[in-house]
Amino acid sequence: MCETQSVEGRPLDDQELVEQARGGDARAYEALVRQYQDIAFRTAYVIAGSAADAEDAAQEGFVKAWYALSRFRAGAAFRPWLLTIVANEARNRRRSGRRQDDLALRVAEDRPSGDAAPSPEAAALAAEQRRLLLAAVGRLGEADRQVIACRYFLDLSEAEMAGALGCRPGTVKSRLSRALGRLRAAMAEPAGGAAAPLSRLQGGGGE
Amino acid sequence: MSLPELELEDALRDLGAHLDLPATPDLAAAVATRLREAPAPAPPARAPRPRGWLPRLPGWRRLALAGMAAVLLAAAVLVVSPGTREAVARRLGLRGIDIRIGGERPTTTRPAERLDLGVGDRVTLEEARRRVAFPVLVPAAAGFQQPDAVFVNPGRPQGGRVDFVYRARPGLPASQFTDVGLLITQFQATLTPDFIKKVVAGGLVEEVQVAGQPGYWFSGEPHFFSYQDTRGSLLDEQTRLAGNTLVWQAGALTLRLEGQVSRQEALRIAESMR
Repeated sequence: MCETQSVEGRPLDDQELVEQARGGDARAYEALVRQYQDIAFRTAYVIAGSAADAEDAAQEGFVKAWYALSRFRAGAAFRPWLLTIVANEARNRRRSGRRQDDLALRVAEDRPSGDAAPSPEAAALAAEQRRLLLAAVGRLGEADRQVIACRYFLDLSEAEMAGALGCRPGTVKSRLSRALGRLRAAMAEPAGGAAAPLSRLQGGGGE
Repeated sequence: MSLPELELEDALRDLGAHLDLPATPDLAAAVATRLREAPAPAPPARAPRPRGWLPRLPGWRRLALAGMAAVLLAAAVLVVSPGTREAVARRLGLRGIDIRIGGERPTTTRPAERLDLGVGDRVTLEEARRRVAFPVLVPAAAGFQQPDAVFVNPGRPQGGRVDFVYRARPGLPASQFTDVGLLITQFQATLTPDFIKKVVAGGLVEEVQVAGQPGYWFSGEPHFFSYQDTRGSLLDEQTRLAGNTLVWQAGALTLRLEGQVSRQEALRIAESMR
């Protein structure tokens, strides 16, 4: 009956898939999982801080979302709703987790960018700048790191960020701008200097 | 290095595009497998709009409950049959209680003495109050204000635990597994969800509210519970078959009520505790 695989040229959109899944169509739901597993896993990773916890959280989140579908408001956007559930799972694992692994991010080695091939010198310079920037992000408090990662690394919308970070949508912008301010300060610190990680405590609270 | 606003944002986006993130596992397959073994979601029929993700609670409690939010939004009644139990909500939980559905049936022991459940030292209510770190709650419901026996274990979990035992009597039949009519346990839960593990092997798990706070009602087929410490070792060698059970939160306490009582009766007793 319902075609859940995307027909060439006309993939079923979220709305249709969600409607079918609400009616108990597990294959439609599987299509949704396939569509969002990347962003769900990455969001969970940014919050939980480890790949194993992220996988566990994302899987659990998808299963819980399935059972919660009956409460999903028809016509609402599926992605922010899903990410909220997954992020809650991830936060739970991070909190109850044995070790508070800090988010381990690495700059990928030679991944060719879409631009015209840069000279080797320019490429090395760009890679070095990325490493410096990433190191500065790493010196931020958890809350600041997460808001920056959600916005710039995962490209989440404001509504999605609010869901993922567990805050009110109205506070996302100000959180982000404060995090950027602290990032700027962190970049001004001598890398590897004696300066204590900036505002680990300050950044932890949010509001 | 110092960058103007837009450049900093661009630099961060560029960094994001060059991050080495772990590869996404095949969640779709794993989720599909779990769903195949599980019941279909509840029909969207009466679904009241939740008024927010979580009940109004102080900040840290909201955090503690955050993981439950998804469960609370899920179908309120989970039918647990042997075939589906692994797949359904592996992690329900209240503070201090980790509820596992499914799992190995532990070996059971039948308590030697009739009212001695091996749950701590038998003391008076007054002494129990002295030996734990929290204000002990007592049911105000008629017939339950005086427990037949009180046990205290001041050390486990941290802050202590108090158990009230009520002898079976007319209107309060003995559990089919002990001679006890009703058991009420209370302790001050920490965020460590490992103190009590409840292993449900069948029956129903239902989300309930006790005086506005979250809880679960377990009924139907017998299930197991065991006390465990945070390292996972069994305390007091205590693993028993349990009858109908209500677990709920009341302020900083987590409580458990177990007996051959109806859901309505259990809720009535629970709500009368003060």
